Formats: sequence, C-alpha cells, structure tokens
Amino acid sequence: MPHEIALLHNYLIVGAVLFGIGAIGFLSRRNMIVMFISAEMMLQGVSLSLVAWSRFHNDFGGQMLVLFIIAIAACEAAIVLALVIALFQRRGNLDIAQWQFLREANQPEFREEPLPDESGERPEEWPHLPAAGVQPTVSPEEADYRASV
Amino acid sequence: MGLPTLTLLLAAVGFWLMLPRGTSRGRLVGTVLAVVALGLGGSRMPLLGQWMADGMFVCLAAITVVSAGCAVTFRNPVYCAIWFGMSLLGTAGLFLLSGAQFLAVATIIVYAGAILVTFLFVLMLAQPEGKASYDRVSWEAPLAAAAGMVMVGVLSLAIGSVLAPVPAVKGDAAPSVLAAAEVATAIAREEAMSRHILSPDHVAGLGRELFGRHLIALEVAGMLLFVALVGAAVIVAQGRGEREPDGGER
Repeated sequence: MPHEIALLHNYLIVGAVLFGIGAIGFLSRRNMIVMFISAEMMLQGVSLSLVAWSRFHNDFGGQMLVLFIIAIAACEAAIVLALVIALFQRRGNLDIAQWQFLREANQPEFREEPLPDESGERPEEWPHLPAAGVQPTVSPEEADYRASV
Repeated sequence: MGLPTLTLLLAAVGFWLMLPRGTSRGRLVGTVLAVVALGLGGSRMPLLGQWMADGMFVCLAAITVVSAGCAVTFRNPVYCAIWFGMSLLGTAGLFLLSGAQFLAVATIIVYAGAILVTFLFVLMLAQPEGKASYDRVSWEAPLAAAAGMVMVGVLSLAIGSVLAPVPAVKGDAAPSVLAAAEVATAIAREEAMSRHILSPDHVAGLGRELFGRHLIALEVAGMLLFVALVGAAVIVAQGRGEREPDGGER
C-alpha cells in the first residue's frame, strides 16, 4: 500500500528533522531555558515518529507511548524549571557556562571572548505614541492647591 | 546521493550562520540557505496522490519545521518560547492529520498550555534587562550544526533503506490472482483500519487500551507526577535555603 508507506516516510522524515534541529539547539545554545526547549523539541520529533508508526501498524501502542511521553514531559518540566530557578538564585543568570567547573578534568575551559561591536546593528525601535487630545487648562487656584498638596 | 548530501550541507551551513555568534552578519544568508535546503528536502518527499492530504501535510510540516528552526536560532529567549509554541501547534496538526485526535488536543493543552506558560513565567523571573551576552554567543555553533545535520542524514538514510523495498515488492505482484488476493487483503486491512485507529470512536478505543493493557503504567505515571511535584518543591526550597551562606558568590 504505497499511500501508507509514503505517509509513514513523510512523518518519519519530519520527526527526524525536528529531532536534529532540537539536537542543534541543545548542543549550541547557552541559555538553560532554550536548552530545555530544544530537548522538548527532540521529544516532539520522537512523538511524531511514534504516532506515524502507530497509524501504520494500526496499533494503539505508539499513541500510548506518546501519551506517557507527554506525562513524563510534564514531570520533567516541573523538575527542570525548579532546578533552573535554584541555579539562577545561586549565580544570578541563566548561563550554563557558569557551571562549567562541573566538566571533566581534561576538558579545556570555555572563555568568553569580548563581544564584537554591534555597530552594524540598529537599536531596537519601539513605537512612539503621538500626542493626542489637548492639554487641559488648569485654573490658577487649582494649580496653587496642587502645589500646596 | 548527491542531492540529499547537498541539502544537508546547505542546512548545516545555514544553521551555523543563523545561530547566535555575537554578530548579526551572515544571518540573512544563513536563513536563505536554510530555506533553500528546506525546499530541496521537501521536493524529494514522496507525494500521497491526493492534493488535499498533500497540501495539509506540506503546510503543517513546513509550519512545524520552520518554527522549530526559529525557536532554536532566535536570540531573545521569549521569542524562542513563542516559536516553540508555534511548532507545537504544527505538531498537534500533524497528529490530527495522522488520526491521533486525543494526542493532538493533549499536546496543545499540556505542552502549549501548561509547560510553555511555565517557561514564560521562569523567563520573566530570570531574564536580565536587555540582551544577555550568553544569548548572543553560542557554544561551537559549526560543530553543533554539523552534528545535528549528520544525525538527520543518518536517520533519513535508515528510514529510506527500511521503507524502500516494500513498494518494490508490491509493484512486482503482477499476476491477476495475486493482485486479487492483494486487493482482498487491502480491503480487509482497510476494514481493520476503520475498525481501530481511524474509526470515529477512536478516543473510546484509546481509553479502553489505556485503562486495560496499560493500567499499571498509568498508575505509575500518576505516582511519578506526584513525586515530581514534591521533588520540585524540595529543590526550590533547598536552593533558597543554601543561598544565604554563599550569597556573595555571585
């Protein structure tokens, strides 16, 4: 049944791509929250593959596994966010490089290079609200009263 | 063999250029390379033959993959979380397209509704003013991009080699008797399919399976949720308690 096979193939490829993108993010980003988001993305890739296999084999096992993945991911999110908050309270930021003294003994140290100048980058522009309406006129006695208060 | 390798190479270079490296030069080039790689990879997907199903699948898959790429490469972690939510919505759509209705809704409720909001709470608690330096420089971006794309390549090779022989065998079944048997099995299989996974009372079947075969696993998962809740409370309390002695460490 080529239709089913093509569907399975497409789902598996999309799952593999999600897994790979999550792996890239987990390996390269330094913000702990973004690392955790990437790990969740890898889980999503696996879930997609499991659902595709479940449809292909006409069996609920894959969907059961995805259901338990969702439950475990909720537990994992609670634990990880508690850990992140505890680590943040120790160091004051979310940088995973703050904890690099936990690395193995023969690994080189990561030294932060000074950031190159971002002169080519425009500063963030926020919208300016135009002035609307008219300035209310304040009577002299009210101005006196306000100044005294 | 050439085109998939080229696609993966383009995607790896694109991701390397898109990942935060302390400078914004080359990000546009990286984005263009990654989009070209996505188009090349998507053009090699086998089509299903029904334009409606194909269109739905291509749209949802594109939303999922593009949002995932944005979630990994954006420098502001709040945007990362928002794009991850978009990717989750795409994944839920793919689940729905594949007949897993309950999982689609559960993904939206649990992931996009609970986990993502918790991320945003923690980001609001812990994010310093402006762009932090650790969001603007990443570890070993070229190596990470190469590793991820090599993983995608190996996985897709494995998928292709596993799934490729089956259509060829089906295509060889030329004699009419075999073809009739094939049609009969196909019809039987269609019936079985409509009886189980894709039937309208899909959720009832899922519940029967969940509370029948997987009852113990379900109870263990409930216990695990409770333990995780207590554990999270303990971790936060301990982290706060030990902060005062070495508070000057930061």
